[in-house]
Amino acid sequence: MADVTITAPNVEAAVEQSPPPRPSARLSRRGLERLDLMLLSVEALDLNGGEAMVWMANQLGFGSLFPNRVELWKRRCYNPLRLACRRGVLSEAETDALISLLCAMADRLYPMLRQLLSASEPEPVTQQRWQLFRSRLDELVRERLNPRRGGVQKLLDPQEGPRLQRQLVQALAFGSGRGGFDRLKASLMDAAA
Amino acid sequence: MKLSYRFEQTSCRLRIDGLPDLSAGHGPEVIGILSAWELDLAGHPTLEGKRDHLQALLAAVLPYARHLVSSVPRPMGLATDPVQMEPISSTRAGLRNRPAHRLRLLSSQPDTQPLELSFDDAELADLVRCLDQLRLDPRVQLGFSLPPDRPLPRREILERVPLRQRLAPPAAGLAALAITAALGLMVPLPRPTATPAASPAATPTSPLTPPR
Repeated sequence: MADVTITAPNVEAAVEQSPPPRPSARLSRRGLERLDLMLLSVEALDLNGGEAMVWMANQLGFGSLFPNRVELWKRRCYNPLRLACRRGVLSEAETDALISLLCAMADRLYPMLRQLLSASEPEPVTQQRWQLFRSRLDELVRERLNPRRGGVQKLLDPQEGPRLQRQLVQALAFGSGRGGFDRLKASLMDAAA
Repeated sequence: MKLSYRFEQTSCRLRIDGLPDLSAGHGPEVIGILSAWELDLAGHPTLEGKRDHLQALLAAVLPYARHLVSSVPRPMGLATDPVQMEPISSTRAGLRNRPAHRLRLLSSQPDTQPLELSFDDAELADLVRCLDQLRLDPRVQLGFSLPPDRPLPRREILERVPLRQRLAPPAAGLAALAITAALGLMVPLPRPTATPAASPAATPTSPLTPPR
């Protein structure tokens, strides 16, 4: 009896202080993986992407969340494919900030994304652009991701890799801008295949 | 006073004309009543129509783009809807840029063939961005009701994996089971052993007598 009278108010107080997180609103590990891969694609398209992201985060008002590159890198390390992978999940505010950042960066790089996807550009030029993008992305993937993971091996595979990289560029193009936020967020929360 | 706004992307230009809906409390800069819209797509005829057609265009193109972000393109719009969107399947599997999306417009006038426009990824992305601008512009309040973007359930994602790849694991399991069963049947059953010879009849023993 004594136990009940002591613990019950505590439990209630805890519930009042921190409402239970909505599990559906959080990104799964797979979602975090895709989000980081898309940010990596942005870096492959923009040589100065790392700095540009911090600048863009400040512009969007996320200066307190991502004041510098290290804080941004720490959030991105929740990607399970990373060499320096962190356990746990990100809060919804943090993932929303990362998605907004990604949409804004994709919006900024939209002309490049469009060139990669356009059929009206001369074919050899398009192929060269894709080659350049692939080589930069492969370099970044080798540098930062764990080569023993199956997902990374698929991305670097000469057969499978180009298809996955094209899907990343497509998702960036259709998720660019302010209007792309909801599409991209919903897509990152897809059920696992 | 008639208002006119334009939304532009590289291959796409959308112009909408209308008036503020003063009864709904809109400001003088806001289009609340749509009088006309016109969509110019590079290399295609100009599209125009009424409010319902614009709503149908948004309802077909935006969910289609949502599915493309997840890399599972799916036809949008019923056969009777004025605007439909569908992926163009190609026999030549490849990663080359090609017109991969088809927009089909059914005219409300009888005896008119449906108009089909094909887009590559870049042109469709331009159109989607144009429609996004329209949707998010605070100066345009036409009250379009669009379904919210939702995460796709597992069964829709599964389509991304080719059928052959999906069926391979269960087929391999069944094959393994069949082979094991066949091997098991080939192992001969143990023969029944010969009945042991009858043991000699027991002879009663003399009761033990304690030694004297």
